[in-house]
Amino acid sequence: MLTGLAVIGVARFLQQRQDFEDATARSYQVEIAARNRLAEGAPRGPASATIVAQKRARQNLRDEIDSETRDTALLVGAGLIAGLTGAALLFTGLIASMRRPLEELVDASGRLAAGDLETRVKVGGLSETAALGEAFNEMAAELQRRAGERDQLETMKDEFVLTASHELRSPLTSVQGFAELLMLERDKLSPAQADTVEIILDNTRHLVRLLNDLLDLARSDAGRLTIKPSPTDVSSLVEDAVRTMRSQTEARGQSLEQRIDPGLPQVSVDRDRIRQVLVNLLTNAHEYSPDRASIEVTASRRDGAVEMAVRDDGPGMAADQLDHIFDRFTRGDAGLTQHVGGTGLGLAISKSLVELHGGTIEAESSPGAGSTFRVRLPAVTL
Amino acid sequence: MTRVLIADDSETILLLLRTRLEMEGYEVLTADDGVEVIEAMRAADPSPDILLLDAMMPRKSGIDALRELRAAGVKTPVLIVSAHQDQMDAGAANDVEVSGYITKPIDFEALFARIAELTA
Repeated sequence: MLTGLAVIGVARFLQQRQDFEDATARSYQVEIAARNRLAEGAPRGPASATIVAQKRARQNLRDEIDSETRDTALLVGAGLIAGLTGAALLFTGLIASMRRPLEELVDASGRLAAGDLETRVKVGGLSETAALGEAFNEMAAELQRRAGERDQLETMKDEFVLTASHELRSPLTSVQGFAELLMLERDKLSPAQADTVEIILDNTRHLVRLLNDLLDLARSDAGRLTIKPSPTDVSSLVEDAVRTMRSQTEARGQSLEQRIDPGLPQVSVDRDRIRQVLVNLLTNAHEYSPDRASIEVTASRRDGAVEMAVRDDGPGMAADQLDHIFDRFTRGDAGLTQHVGGTGLGLAISKSLVELHGGTIEAESSPGAGSTFRVRLPAVTL
Repeated sequence: MTRVLIADDSETILLLLRTRLEMEGYEVLTADDGVEVIEAMRAADPSPDILLLDAMMPRKSGIDALRELRAAGVKTPVLIVSAHQDQMDAGAANDVEVSGYITKPIDFEALFARIAELTA
């Protein structure tokens, strides 16, 4: 509108200029006619008066047009400034109307990526941003639907593992029980028969371990892995785990040392579960290290926590293997470790258990330099 | 001689338990489910010194049978045998007095130790 004013101002200026030119031309004609009459000998008085009057009239016209020109210039200037301001405001408004929905979309995408699948945006603004908002909402709804389906499948999977492990336990109890029964009368068996029963027993125990590990993982996934923590002495916990492993390490000539700092605070743990973690770490150190390797367990204070570390001087691991060491069914190089009888679930379960206690577990290793696993558990504050 | 009443819906498990317990010198009574446990407790003379009940059995579970026996004032020690550790985690038998839990597969050395301790 203000731009229109400027245009009108310019048009008016041109019109006024034209009028001024016309009036000036007319004035000159009148003056020339008066001068001609004077030259033809007309009376001097009236002709001179006309000439003077015309000169004055032209002066007035000039004054008038100058003032008009100033006004018009002001008007045009004001109009232009107003027009530019208006355009700038319009532009800012346009950007703002696009920016708000876009910013909302950026925020919502962030929330969606962070896992808030309920996130939706208000659809509005320009048709393009509105379409973008609608597309976003449809995508979020689809993600939410799929996440729901996936959760349902996860629940079914957890239930299945729990039920399967329960159903498998009874027949396993029979197989293990009767094989043990046979071994009780070992002297009545031939050496070959005794070996056969030994194989049945070994494999049954492995199956039971696998089943227990799977059950623990399924419980952990289902949020049903529970612990009953109570204040526990670190030294007795470590000694207990070391005692459990002693005969196995000795059988392969491996040294198993424990070094427990004096005056350690107690830790609030489910004793059986943390013992399970330590035995698992010691079993790994034992199985993945060669005969006559050195294995060491240490316990020391670290700020408000107690750190238990299991260190071996075995073959160690490369960085890419170390990255996945706590994943399920991740095991050391099979070529190196054919005798390893683990389930590949031990470290995944250990991690779940330690984290359930509010602790951390980490591994350090490099090829040829052995491995160290550190478990940190919050100390009991007195 | 110490009398043990065992209850399990699996014949194989009953045979296994009976064999191992008899080898250890126990006298063994058996039941297929909770209903038979109640009947055996009524009929048995002398009454068993300890009960070994499977947690989950058809007709009547070991836990339900135990609840009935406790309500009737029976004070005999009871060990619950269960394949399902979750049941214990959830404390399904929190309302009745249980002497202990045994998980499958059975660690017989530990079981004999518990029985000896509870019937001493």
